[in-house]
Amino acid sequence: MLRYIRNIQGDKVIWGIVIILSVLSLLTVYSATGSLAYAKNDGNTEYYLIKQLIVVVAGLLFMYLIHLVKYTWYSKGYIIFVTFLLSIGFLAALIIYGLTINSAARWLPIPLTGLTFQPSDLAKPALVMFLAKLLANNQDKIKSLKIYLFMLIPIILICLLIFPSNFSTAAILFVSCLVLIWIARARMAHIGLTILAGAAFGVILFFLIMHYPKAIPRGETWKHRIEVWLDDSKADPEADYQITQAKIAIASGGFFGKTPGKSTQRNFLPHPYSDFIFAFIIEEYGLVGGGFVTLLYLTLFFRIVRIANRCKGNFGSFLSFGIGFLIVFQALINMGVAVGLLPVTGQTLPLVSMGGTSLWFTAISIGIILSVSRGLEIEAQEEKTSFKISDNLYATV
Amino acid sequence: MSRGFTARKYFILVLIAGIGSALLIRLFFIQVIADKYILSANNNVLRYITQYPARGFVYDRNGKLLVYNEAAYDLMVIPRQIRDFDTTGFCRLLGIDVQTFIEKVEKARKYSSYRPTIFFPQISKENYGFLEEKLFRFPGFYVQPRTLRKYPLAIAAHTVGYIGEVSPAMIERKPYYKSGDYIGISGIEKSYEEILRGKKGMKIRVVDVHNRDMGSFQEGKYDTLPVAGIGLWASLDADLQAYGELLMTNKKGSIVAIEPSSGEILALVTSPSYDPNLLVGQVRSRNYAMLARDTARIPLFNRALMAQYPPGSTFKIVNALIGLHEGILKPTTAFGCPGGFSLGSGKVVKCHAHFSPLQLKQSIQFSCNTYYCHAFRNIIDKGSRKSTRAGYEKWRKQVWDFGFGHKFETDLANELNGNIPSADYYDRFHGKNRWNSYSIISLAIGQGEIGVTPVQLANLCATIANRGFYYPPHIIRAIGKADSLNSKFLKKHVLNIEKEHFDLVVDAMEDVVLAGTATGARMDSISVCGKTGTAQNPHGKDHSIFIAFAPKDNPRIALCVIVENAGFGATWAAPIASLMIEKYLTRKIQRQDLETRMVEGNLLR
Ligand SMILES: [Zn+2]
Repeated sequence: MLRYIRNIQGDKVIWGIVIILSVLSLLTVYSATGSLAYAKNDGNTEYYLIKQLIVVVAGLLFMYLIHLVKYTWYSKGYIIFVTFLLSIGFLAALIIYGLTINSAARWLPIPLTGLTFQPSDLAKPALVMFLAKLLANNQDKIKSLKIYLFMLIPIILICLLIFPSNFSTAAILFVSCLVLIWIARARMAHIGLTILAGAAFGVILFFLIMHYPKAIPRGETWKHRIEVWLDDSKADPEADYQITQAKIAIASGGFFGKTPGKSTQRNFLPHPYSDFIFAFIIEEYGLVGGGFVTLLYLTLFFRIVRIANRCKGNFGSFLSFGIGFLIVFQALINMGVAVGLLPVTGQTLPLVSMGGTSLWFTAISIGIILSVSRGLEIEAQEEKTSFKISDNLYATV
Repeated sequence: MSRGFTARKYFILVLIAGIGSALLIRLFFIQVIADKYILSANNNVLRYITQYPARGFVYDRNGKLLVYNEAAYDLMVIPRQIRDFDTTGFCRLLGIDVQTFIEKVEKARKYSSYRPTIFFPQISKENYGFLEEKLFRFPGFYVQPRTLRKYPLAIAAHTVGYIGEVSPAMIERKPYYKSGDYIGISGIEKSYEEILRGKKGMKIRVVDVHNRDMGSFQEGKYDTLPVAGIGLWASLDADLQAYGELLMTNKKGSIVAIEPSSGEILALVTSPSYDPNLLVGQVRSRNYAMLARDTARIPLFNRALMAQYPPGSTFKIVNALIGLHEGILKPTTAFGCPGGFSLGSGKVVKCHAHFSPLQLKQSIQFSCNTYYCHAFRNIIDKGSRKSTRAGYEKWRKQVWDFGFGHKFETDLANELNGNIPSADYYDRFHGKNRWNSYSIISLAIGQGEIGVTPVQLANLCATIANRGFYYPPHIIRAIGKADSLNSKFLKKHVLNIEKEHFDLVVDAMEDVVLAGTATGARMDSISVCGKTGTAQNPHGKDHSIFIAFAPKDNPRIALCVIVENAGFGATWAAPIASLMIEKYLTRKIQRQDLETRMVEGNLLR
């Protein structure tokens, strides 16, 4: 056991943040599913706790194993290509599955297991890896329009595949990829034009949703969500009170919260263990707890940027930045929804929300960042030793 | 630092930090400034109380109340929320002993510990007021108001229908309904469910840990008020309906009376029936099972809309009208009747004794079978030169146009099609091209494979009364206001048969009552037109049928009476029809002895 712990390498602050968030995940899921357990498992409150415990421990294990692999292994062409193709395959399968059950599906059932998984969870890191590789290989020609357009192809392909079932994930992924390309010194004008095109697409989409919601899959849901967000008075107390309930949860939490296990709003929040878990955290842990969680994610991002900054290879640098931005961006969106800054999107809070495969893919993604970080430490170590050796050499001469 | 990683990263860092700060500021803002979300006490909970709207009442055409609501209160328990309390005091309050209390709680817990269960059903209004004041001392218990339907006249059970708790399958299909809600299951309650039910409201109350109501949440800003259900005015005449049910005592059969000028149903009697108050509240399922078990009387079967009989001689009028329209019959067309119509090979359609030969009017007056066998054979064989099949299809289309063989698709719940066999049916039965007008000759006199419902026969009578058109029969004349007409069903259906032919048939039907087969329906003051019929019944005594309308000019009522196992149409159906007409037109019965004889007649044994 001790040997494994000694084997833990990479940024210790990131490790610490992940552990704190995992513990928080267990505490909140246990408390938040109290009413769910009553409704579904006849009062067996431990059921969801044990399930989440298994998920969290497995997630940490994946993270540990992934971080032991040398990060240059992830830059191998076939690894990147296979994960990318797998993502496309699963996303296509999801669309076909959606057609058979007659509605846009987000989750693909895994045959025989009774489990489901969200193909977009795999597609997100896969696309960032693919993009990091393209960017690293073409650094010298990055300003050419031809290369730029070539890099847009995989982004648009994946985002379009995700789009029908999960608009917000597609949008978050698209923005993250653009930020990554921009960071990798692509031409400002190219990115500006892409944003303009994206904005035009968005405006047209917004117009279609508001005026012809039936023309788009899930259009009616989106129209309703946007309307509720724009206007409080449209919230129908019977059906659409979730945003109001989230605000009540936040307001009733006070500065120090109601203390864990004392939430009353969990009975009213529609998904206190996933979409609205941040509101729930604030209710139980107060403004102090909510602020702490926000700072955890911000710190996570700064540490990841630090790794990216120090990394010598372009690939590792882009990879860790891209993945880190994606995770933290999603966290900020989830928190923004809970406090009413954004319309309801259905984004989970990474590493905290209940839900197995989503948490695992986040853990694996962070494992890759830690692998990059571990690589830095080894390089630093080698530099030091080689310096010592040369020092010794010099001395003996 | 890697070559590709530029100073642009600082911009992103600032951006992310900015978003994070915005989140924190927003949190602070909700926390401190937007106090509208803050609850008065930390441990309060919100309770969402559904506000049930009053279900709409149903009146008859004269404003008499047919269905209204009576409030009832169920004492509910959520076992999980029960805390220690003064059990003996509670039992004294309800008038039960402690043993019963423990058993009831155990039973509720067995069902579910977190879902509400009815602990004590239908508390009286007085007890409810008394209980509500004390209930805060007993956490886990609350009172759920309910509405019970009441039927003050206890008539027209099948027509008004009943309500019951919504089924899980229905909740899945229509999410408006929640478990325990009531929904219309049959009759008007079903056809007009969405109008009668109104719209539920929602009240949000703040309740403290001691189950005490601390007032409404946010001064009721998020509450919605229930919208009361809308009242309906049925076209039924409650007096006529009740009288029809009285006349049909101890008889199987039905009476359907229609106002010809509007298609409004004045009475829809089916017998045997039941008291609609039996299917209300807690006792509903038990009583329903009891009624469903009664296979001898079948009281749940709505004969007026669902029973299918051969129309018998009443159908001769249809064949006469089709024949006249096709030019195959003339008013002067005469056939001799030697006591029957020979089909060859020794088979004969028999007829009864009357003078011979008969012209068309007399053929109706004396209901001659031979006459209509000749007429029908000519209609089929001369209707189309091509084939029997084509001639038959043409005839069938005209019968269909009279409203037979299909539903009216108005607001009558559970009506059936009846049956006018298709040519394909005869192809299957006899073989293709192996049947002719002789094979199906029983249709001439309304016997054989043909099936019609009482409401379809009543509609035929209304069509004749109107001399050639009908409005589809319907049961609701006004929605929301007594004088607003339900125009949805006021679509005039005009037959393609000339009015002069109807005039001739009407004269003949007058003769039927004055000096024909139904003199028992004759009245001195009112000119009644009618036609008898007998539906052959292979299982027992034939069914007695009579259709009639009155007065002859500007008819106000057209009806069909069917009395099962009563033999010839004139014996039971015709007198009952005439009593119904007298009741509706004069509101008073002069012929007391006839009434007594009809009411007391018991044909069930
Ligand atoms: Zn005859």
